[in-house]
Amino acid sequence: MRNPFQEFRSLPYERKELPLNRIVKGKEAVMAQILEGYLRLVEEEVKDLVWLVEHSRVVKAYTAAVKSIRDLHYDPDDIDEFCAELDSSNRIPYMISGPAGIYISALVNLSTEDRITLRLKDFQRTFHFLGYRLPEGKTLILQGDVGDFVGAGLSGGRLIVEGSTGNWCGAGMMKGEILVTEHAGQNTGEWMRGGEIHVDGRIRSIGKTLFGGRIYQRERLLAPQDLSGEI
Amino acid sequence: MDRPSSKEKDLLKEIWPRVRRRHLYPELPHPVWEENLERVALEIKEKRISLSRGFVEEMSQVMDEEEVVGGLLDHAVSHYLYCPWDFSTHLKLYSEAKRVLKDKQMAMRATDYFMDVVADTQCVSQKESPLPRLYAHVKRGIMDEAIHALYQRIWGVNLGVEGYEEVARKLSRLPYLDRRRWPETIRRFSKVVQSLLEMEERFGGLNRPSPMGSHGLQNYSSQEIEQGLKDLAAASESPAEFKEIVEDFEEDLLEAASPNERGMGLGPGRSLEADILYYMKLAENYNLPIRKTPMHKSGSLYPHHHVPWEVGRPFQDIDPWTSFGKIMPGITQIWERREGEVFGEDEGTPDCIVMIDSSGSMINPRQQLSYAVLGAACACDAYLRNDARVAVYNFSDANAGGAQILPFNRHRFEIYRAICHYFGGGTKLHLEDIEQLQTGRNPDIFLITDMQITNLEALISYFNEHANRVTAVHIGDNEHVQTFRRSMKLRKNISIYGVEKKEDIPKIVLGKIQEYFARPSG
Amino acid sequence: MLRETAVEIYNYIHENLYLNRPDLEIQGKRFNSALLLGLLTGLREGKELIIGEPGLGKTTSAEYIGAFLYRVPLGTIWGSEVAGHPEQTEEKIIGRPDLGRLNQGEEVVVWSHFALLPIKIVDEINRLPETKQSMILDGVDRGNWEYLNDCIINTEYCLFATANYQDRGTNTIIAPLIDRFDVMVESKHPGANLAYMIGSRGSDGACLRHPELEQEFLRTLNERSPVTERMKRLEDLCGRFGEVVERQIGVKTFSQDNRREIRTQMDALPLDLDANAFLRMVISELSFCHRYGQKRSHEHCEEGCHFTGYLCHGVQNCISNRFPISTVNFSKALAWFLGDSQVGIEHLKAVLPFTLAHRLQWKEEVVAQREKEARHDPLPIYLAKTAVRDMHRRYMEQGPLVKNALAVACRITEGEELEPVEGDHPIYWEIRRDLGKELQEA
Repeated sequence: MRNPFQEFRSLPYERKELPLNRIVKGKEAVMAQILEGYLRLVEEEVKDLVWLVEHSRVVKAYTAAVKSIRDLHYDPDDIDEFCAELDSSNRIPYMISGPAGIYISALVNLSTEDRITLRLKDFQRTFHFLGYRLPEGKTLILQGDVGDFVGAGLSGGRLIVEGSTGNWCGAGMMKGEILVTEHAGQNTGEWMRGGEIHVDGRIRSIGKTLFGGRIYQRERLLAPQDLSGEI
Repeated sequence: MDRPSSKEKDLLKEIWPRVRRRHLYPELPHPVWEENLERVALEIKEKRISLSRGFVEEMSQVMDEEEVVGGLLDHAVSHYLYCPWDFSTHLKLYSEAKRVLKDKQMAMRATDYFMDVVADTQCVSQKESPLPRLYAHVKRGIMDEAIHALYQRIWGVNLGVEGYEEVARKLSRLPYLDRRRWPETIRRFSKVVQSLLEMEERFGGLNRPSPMGSHGLQNYSSQEIEQGLKDLAAASESPAEFKEIVEDFEEDLLEAASPNERGMGLGPGRSLEADILYYMKLAENYNLPIRKTPMHKSGSLYPHHHVPWEVGRPFQDIDPWTSFGKIMPGITQIWERREGEVFGEDEGTPDCIVMIDSSGSMINPRQQLSYAVLGAACACDAYLRNDARVAVYNFSDANAGGAQILPFNRHRFEIYRAICHYFGGGTKLHLEDIEQLQTGRNPDIFLITDMQITNLEALISYFNEHANRVTAVHIGDNEHVQTFRRSMKLRKNISIYGVEKKEDIPKIVLGKIQEYFARPSG
Repeated sequence: MLRETAVEIYNYIHENLYLNRPDLEIQGKRFNSALLLGLLTGLREGKELIIGEPGLGKTTSAEYIGAFLYRVPLGTIWGSEVAGHPEQTEEKIIGRPDLGRLNQGEEVVVWSHFALLPIKIVDEINRLPETKQSMILDGVDRGNWEYLNDCIINTEYCLFATANYQDRGTNTIIAPLIDRFDVMVESKHPGANLAYMIGSRGSDGACLRHPELEQEFLRTLNERSPVTERMKRLEDLCGRFGEVVERQIGVKTFSQDNRREIRTQMDALPLDLDANAFLRMVISELSFCHRYGQKRSHEHCEEGCHFTGYLCHGVQNCISNRFPISTVNFSKALAWFLGDSQVGIEHLKAVLPFTLAHRLQWKEEVVAQREKEARHDPLPIYLAKTAVRDMHRRYMEQGPLVKNALAVACRITEGEELEPVEGDHPIYWEIRRDLGKELQEA
């Protein structure tokens, strides 16, 4: 049978590619892997689409997240973009704030960059568990208001929130520093064992059980003092 | 003003055909030289490209003049060919940028820059263009530096920009050449460049046009603007969303409005009534074709064509002339007769009275998309396009002055203004108002309501006494609806449609009109 | 040399005989579409449908073109025209028995001038019944005319058919018949100023009349001798008429050999790769249907089809194979006329609206959206121009990718292990189908 494309034989078929094509392709491959990891995490951890905040589940989710992303090569821009994908839900069929925040925290903790800034004020959704187990030597700056359990389990890193936090800020933190430029919610510093939390605005209430560490409001030490209730 | 020299004219005459051929012959008029372009290299107005003589002369000192002109033309043609493609896309991009930046000026600048990046990158990726060499020498502001730093990364060229690493890195990740993802891409683009735009604003650079010109409405024909508004209306979820975007372009829209649009309330000296414009444009997405003059059989037979005569066929239809006086098979021919088909009398389209309920139980059309108003709008357009007249009776609590009557006319904007009016009160109509709109030739009546009318019984009696074709579209179901249905059951001239999904209203209205147009009113 | 003569003929008719405004621009030059495409029809042995209001020069333009290109005097052409009315008969159109010989029992056909002459003009073809329209178009398609078991074969011919717009007493030209026309053009009103000139000086067709030669033409056509001999003598008469015209107005005309040579030159022009790819893209948009395999007039688009942005969504019918034949022929003719060495996108773009206008059946909603828009052409031609403009824009955007896809397809066909290029446009799907690698949807 005749080749109907005969006349195009002489045309070179390899097209001119700009560096842009390579950059975009590479980035999309990484994003696909990150997304795949997140979806796998959600499917395993959230069988009934309900995820309860229990310490063991949080730890399990974090461990699974770390396992997913350990071998990935990504940069802070990828983390930012992943947050945008979670916010827009274009490629993510279900966004569950708890596991999402844990996954982001894993990405931050395992990133090669020491200083990462996330512009959360651009997003509609609220993320919880950001800064979970932030290790020593890492600084995470969150621009905008954040959800609950921010800085939970902080492990020596420096967490700066340029906005307000939800409840349970710094819950169970071991060491490190949390700076909140606006307000903090209830049960701030609950179960903390070390480190410092500095809040420039209001604190709705301090956690009832503090094992160590300090909480400051506008440079004034609030805990350890057996104080609870709104200040 | 000095006219262009013959050397300049020759330069354009030589380069423009090459650029056209390179871009596969875009339908653009021959570019011209312009003396008075301040601070920009080129301008595009209604597809005409104007090149700044001053800019070209200045750049010719550091690079070849032909390359300067070629690069500028490549840039201009790429905008036409690739981005923004049309006014509708321009509006979509702007609305996404505004969502992030929240400021009109910044959103416009971000959109301009985004479109530049897309158009230039497309050009450089597909053609051998002198554009990179041009950019290497052009004067830059803050944003221009950042954009050129981006170009260095994504084109793999050296434009002599230092710094802006982080911005360029973030911007280089965006899929500029994937048209389907432009809305998402410009959002991310705007986020990244926001701080730079704020810096430009602080230093007063935001009002300074980009060297390659800005992209206002003057680039589009009035037809493109109309189409763009239509697409924007269809894509907007509410009149408020449409209004927010359109009002930012109000001055340009009013300036650019064609004579037709001026008749509809747009044009210099008038303010833009974006809510009404929204429904006007949205209804245009539901056009019914113009009714053609019907054909019908004439009822009489006439000789149509010849067929060979066969033995056994009757003799009376033999054509002696074409048979040459012979009766023999193969020579003799008879007439085959057919009933003629002629164009019927064009009965014309009856006028239409649109009765629209704007009581408190109906949606306020200025705040949310009201399918009731849209259905009424579709009905109006269908009749107006067939050269009929439309009257509007917009009712809420007529006793308390909540009624608006617009007599029969063909003024589209006024009709829409009447339809879009929202009273938000009770629901009672005055039958005398409807009666005064009746003409000798029974107009069609379209009633769109939720049937929670206080004097429904009176309305039922009224319809029973009149021969107008009535189409009643009601939203929801209630006892009043049941009453209405029961009372109108035997009336052949009255059709009642309940609507489950409000989105079906335009289809119902248009379906009924199509039926009416197929069989003229008796 | 031949090309210059063609240009000279165009210019002469445009300036002296068929006064009308240029409405078509190519390569910076402006032409009148009806005249230009008529000229190309005559040179290309095509079939042209000319529409327009009564009295706007539809038939006259065809007559002038015929007279110059085929060297036949106007009077002879007038005598060969078929008038469209319902009582037209085969005997008036094609031929009749020789009555004298018939009385002696011999069947000898007297062929009509319409059948014999290469220039065939049908006035108001849509007033003919369908059977007669079909008879003419069948004859012109194949170039042979049959009557009473005899037939003649035209070695060259072209058809010009005129039609008024819809009015009482007209039939329509049905789709299978209208598809046989290569191009459709409108003979527009020339505007007040040119119309005044026409009125004040009248039509100057006298240069194309020659009563003595016309008599000789008539005698030759009416002779009862073998057709081939008559045609030879006609060619001689045509030569004489050509000399008269050249002497009188200084414009050369074409002999049969010239016309043959012109067609050979036209056929030799290649299409460049962009024109080639663009035409394939156009055909794909007008024939493709993702859901049903191809476009069919009785099948309707699905709601929410992915391809709503393409022309396959706006038209009802599938484009025929006559369309690419007409388009390529006329594009080559235009490229030859302009003196170009190959056919490019510009030539295609100029010709496409006229080869498409009568072949596209638009959906009602498309017509409804556009019929009230401001325009300078009748609706079918306007819609075709808009469609071509849109497709061209898509090609300008995607052209390199389309060509790349075709190049890759060529290699795959030759056995290379490559993946077909993916893309959104129907052309990419059509390529896959041709390669037997159609994507299966889940």
